[in-house]
Amino acid sequence: LQVTFPQQASILNLSLCRATPSIQHPMWSTASINERQYRDMPTHGIGRWRHLLPKQASKKKKVRNQVKDLVSATDTAYGTLNVKVSGYDMTVVEHYSQYIHNLCNRLNIKVAESYALPTKSTEVLLMQEQGNKTFVDAVLKTHQRVVQLSSLNASLCPVFMDVILKNQPEGVQLSVQEHTEADYLLRFKARPELDGLIAQIYQ
Amino acid sequence: MAAPCRKMASRSFSRLLCYFSSTAVGSGACRRFSVTPIDRATPLGSTAADRATSPWSLMAAVCLQRLPVISADCSPIEQRFKQMLQQMELEKSLVSDHELRLLEDAEKMSRRQAADYDSDEEDRGDQEIMMTQDLEDTWEQRLKNFHPAPRVRADVDEDLSSAQRCLADSLVLLAEQQVGAEKLWLLPQAAWQEGETLRQTAERALDSVTAAGVKATFLGNAPCGVYKYKLPKAARTEGSVGRKVFFFKAILADGAPGSAPTAPLLWVKKSELQEYLKPAYMTKVDRFILNL
Repeated sequence: LQVTFPQQASILNLSLCRATPSIQHPMWSTASINERQYRDMPTHGIGRWRHLLPKQASKKKKVRNQVKDLVSATDTAYGTLNVKVSGYDMTVVEHYSQYIHNLCNRLNIKVAESYALPTKSTEVLLMQEQGNKTFVDAVLKTHQRVVQLSSLNASLCPVFMDVILKNQPEGVQLSVQEHTEADYLLRFKARPELDGLIAQIYQ
Repeated sequence: MAAPCRKMASRSFSRLLCYFSSTAVGSGACRRFSVTPIDRATPLGSTAADRATSPWSLMAAVCLQRLPVISADCSPIEQRFKQMLQQMELEKSLVSDHELRLLEDAEKMSRRQAADYDSDEEDRGDQEIMMTQDLEDTWEQRLKNFHPAPRVRADVDEDLSSAQRCLADSLVLLAEQQVGAEKLWLLPQAAWQEGETLRQTAERALDSVTAAGVKATFLGNAPCGVYKYKLPKAARTEGSVGRKVFFFKAILADGAPGSAPTAPLLWVKKSELQEYLKPAYMTKVDRFILNL
């Protein structure tokens, strides 16, 4: 009995507490987020609306240029492939690489990255008609664009290759290779000061 | 399905290094290719007990395509649009270095011809050895001496067995092979043998039909189409009801055909395929040959 007594007392207390609010404020019987919490002013927090919106994901700064892992080949799909488009005419090369990217999106092939490699300039030197000296005739710039595919389904591969080969424009070279660590390091500029310091350390 | 499909699923993939390039007409009728298979694992042999004997015997065929060498001609609307775009680009463009020099030279000439010309006033920089107009004349001369190869050669287009015909379209190789009792025109095929993959069967089919020098790049290990047919009632036995032919796509690499081919060959466009193939075969083959 002694054990139950405090419980009964508490129940009585609770019912007493509940009774008085229910008489004075009929709306307090169900407490929900739509209830306005106010202290003195009845209109306190009357304009609050942000708690009614669905929860948004927190805005973190996206880390750009993340190093993406190499996907290895499985039985039914190729690994990370580099489709490299190169040529002398930049508009044609860029348009063709955009075409390949759009084709991949349409065929639901995941494109990991799409970047450009540094342009290589070739100077064409011709011999002069009179005399032995060569002179600069033209400067040809080779532009390269790479579309990196993360995984290409093996059954889709012949269809994909056929379409891009048949739509290859004139004067553009296409090359499909596996992506290696060396290819990734090619994108970075050489740092001569750092190399010099390293050489000094190890001398 | 019978064994080869299981083999294709279980063997690890051969990785291809393909290099394709589109060059000018003068360098030949085919594109330059280089293919280096890095890793081609040997197929796992499946024991005879696993394989359920099926009444269908398997064959593999190769759809060898020669890609177009030159771009196709534009239709009238395309030509008009192209001209309009070029006109717009010309009008919006800025003057180039060469044109600027031309204008400066013309201005210098007119100043020299003027009555009150004093050559000491002129800022005498390094006098150019060649005037810009003379440069332009030498370039014009060189352009006149350059003769490009003709885009369309009517006599070569007529010759169906030449791989140099119709440079603006993609062509498919057809061979006349003995099937059962009759000789039919179809894509070169060969029967599948034990212990090899279907792709190797297709490669064997190509080698048997063409000359030794012809190089082809297979586009993948998966077939692009299938055609099955039943043998005529007279030839049907317990073990063989019909045949299933799997098609593999390949692209013709730059190979000068040395010796004459063993069987009569044809290079045909997709529109001409109808005349040579049987209707049922044609509907299946039509589906995977792209006419872009």
